[in-house]
Amino acid sequence: MDLNFTKEQENFQIEVRSFLNDNLEPQVVEKVKNGIPITKEDSERWHQKLNEKGWLAGTWPKQYGGQEWDVVEKFIFEEECGSAGAPRIVPFGVGMLAPVLMKFGSQEQRDYWLPRMLTGEDWWCQGYSEPGSGSDLASLKTSAVRDGDHYIVNGQKTWTTFAQHANMIFCLVRTSNEGKPQEGISFILIDMNSPGIEVRPIITLDGSHEVNEIFFSDVKVPAKNLVGEENKGWTYAKYLLTHERTGNANVAVSKRKIQKLKKLADDAKKNEQPLSNDPMFASRLAQIEIDLQNLEITNLRTLASVENGEAPGAESSIIKILGSEIEQDIDNLTRKSLGKRAFVNEPDALSAGYNGAEVFPKAAAYASGKYFNHRKKSIYAGSNEIQKNIISKLMLNL
Amino acid sequence: MDFKPSPERQILFDTLKKYFENEYSLSDRNIAAHSDLGYSKTAWESMRTLGILESLIDPELDGFGGTALDISTVFEALGRGLVVEPFLEVGILAAKVLSKGNDAQKSLVKKILENECLPILAHSETDTEYSKSFVETKLFVEADGGYKISGAKRMIKHAAEATHFLVTCRNTGDASSEEGISIACIPTDREGIKIDSFATIDGGRVSDLTFTNISISSEELVGELGMSYSIVSHAIDTGILAICSEALGIMERIKELTLEYLKTRKQFGVPIGKFQAIQHRMAQLLVEIEQARSSVINATIYFDDETEREKTISAAKFSIGKIGTLVAEESIQLHGGMGMTWEYDLGHYAKRLVLIDHEFGDEDFHLQKYISL
Repeated sequence: MDLNFTKEQENFQIEVRSFLNDNLEPQVVEKVKNGIPITKEDSERWHQKLNEKGWLAGTWPKQYGGQEWDVVEKFIFEEECGSAGAPRIVPFGVGMLAPVLMKFGSQEQRDYWLPRMLTGEDWWCQGYSEPGSGSDLASLKTSAVRDGDHYIVNGQKTWTTFAQHANMIFCLVRTSNEGKPQEGISFILIDMNSPGIEVRPIITLDGSHEVNEIFFSDVKVPAKNLVGEENKGWTYAKYLLTHERTGNANVAVSKRKIQKLKKLADDAKKNEQPLSNDPMFASRLAQIEIDLQNLEITNLRTLASVENGEAPGAESSIIKILGSEIEQDIDNLTRKSLGKRAFVNEPDALSAGYNGAEVFPKAAAYASGKYFNHRKKSIYAGSNEIQKNIISKLMLNL
Repeated sequence: MDFKPSPERQILFDTLKKYFENEYSLSDRNIAAHSDLGYSKTAWESMRTLGILESLIDPELDGFGGTALDISTVFEALGRGLVVEPFLEVGILAAKVLSKGNDAQKSLVKKILENECLPILAHSETDTEYSKSFVETKLFVEADGGYKISGAKRMIKHAAEATHFLVTCRNTGDASSEEGISIACIPTDREGIKIDSFATIDGGRVSDLTFTNISISSEELVGELGMSYSIVSHAIDTGILAICSEALGIMERIKELTLEYLKTRKQFGVPIGKFQAIQHRMAQLLVEIEQARSSVINATIYFDDETEREKTISAAKFSIGKIGTLVAEESIQLHGGMGMTWEYDLGHYAKRLVLIDHEFGDEDFHLQKYISL
């Protein structure tokens, strides 16, 4: 057993660290470290910086502008970004659609769409869930009917993250009602500016606008936007979801959040002593830290098996459950550590133009909002109940 | 043995329940709760005509209730309605303090009932000190027999609209000592008061208050100089009973909403409530909510027993804190994405339920307090 990085990997880690140190904007890092949402513009500027360095899509092949990072390099990059408080790379294009296009798309599609992801010309969103099809995704109804050189799309998608920013959406649509529901699904790329598309915001319980409903009425989509073969979309979707779930450990982000939480607890007073000295608080914190240490090793074990050529299977479901629940535990304890201050909800408190009273500690501006917002983590990307179904089926053979 | 409420209280509860279902729309409530005022003056006015405030106040001060059972009954109904108007702050905290004051202060309670004043207790000082006796705001005795007050209060709900502040302060003793605490009742336009207000996650506005050399006359003290801890303590215990009961009403409403969702939401061709994994989680919620109710009943029974009150109150607040967060988190998870939306009722109930743990001491604080008693 050897848990150490190689010399090359260590050098890469140093390079990433120094790049982040030189290029991250302090005011954006302050927002990230205090758990406050960043703007579209904050994301775009960061994507551009990374792209100039060739790191926006580090795992991609060199011919498309990537670095061909292996799983360990990807891990190092993401961990360093997580601890530095870098904005998360918006995953829908570079992290989710791109692997599908590379594996199943046509050469023409790769040549056209991949460079535009890097330059930011396209902002992608993901059209999977529908009002009647959440956990039971294969029952989706949005239809695409072939009509000459086009498909005509009708239906509704929901929970679409950042649809309000996006100019493109990749969608699962029904192209056949024959056979099993999974066998009539296709994967198609749709221009959000097409006539017949309407985006309506869904405001979440914390008051923020991340997700949307999208309505399609007689939307004309060029047939060349079909990815792969008609009615094979379910295979591509599963491939994408497995990719979506592998990056869910968030160990570095959780470590950074624990450091922040410790600082808050050192500064807060309970019974005229630092809150961090309170045995009940300390016990709650220690349990989360231990869970996170364990997850770190569980995650590395999964990485090592992928590095040795094994495909990520139900292990990514284990990581998804643990990663989401540990981050929720940290958000929960952060809220608790703020005591009465947790009532405050002023997510704009660190933005230019905020003219309300100063919020201190700054983390209180959105700590409860974040806690409630992050309840989504055990719901999205395949709810944790669905992950348990996958584990039961694939690992336990029940 | 009979745990049923008296017929009068049952009628009061049913009347309020029906009123909130028919007249207090949650979408209007949410707009008001997250407005610059933090509640609806129209709703406040029309709810007052139902006699809600009177039912919280003793007959000798023109009310017709005020017992632990009255308060518990009314606040469970307020919880079901997710009422954001300042019944807790004015009808419980301020009214209980003022009822121990001199005639002028007692008359303020009557003015509350006539909607002529909105007094607010300004007690809490740091974010994480929940001890009822924690007061660092200073009271200085002046040569002319008057007083000066200096200090800061944090996270005072509905303070920006107040007509009077009931400010706790001390002239002797350590920060957490029960000795040396006084309460001053002052109009909010008194020179030297600064108010910084914030929006909240669960609705209503909160404020930080700074008092700089505020002049107080001896008639403005509630109770004797330095002897008012028991007044604050009793008011806060009553407040705890009230919000524990509010939490019960919220949990019952969450249970109804979640059960309805499990019966109607279909995935894989059947209502999701048909899945045993879901049934067991919902059954566990029911078990926990029953335990929460029993903890509140216990606190209500012993509320007037000076030797048992604090212990049963801490037991109830601990139970509500622990169970409330569980109920909020589980009900959101069982609703999937729907539980995450602003438009649907559940999330708003869940937010208030979780934040109740941040008022008057959280589950950890009350567990430790229970151990110490």
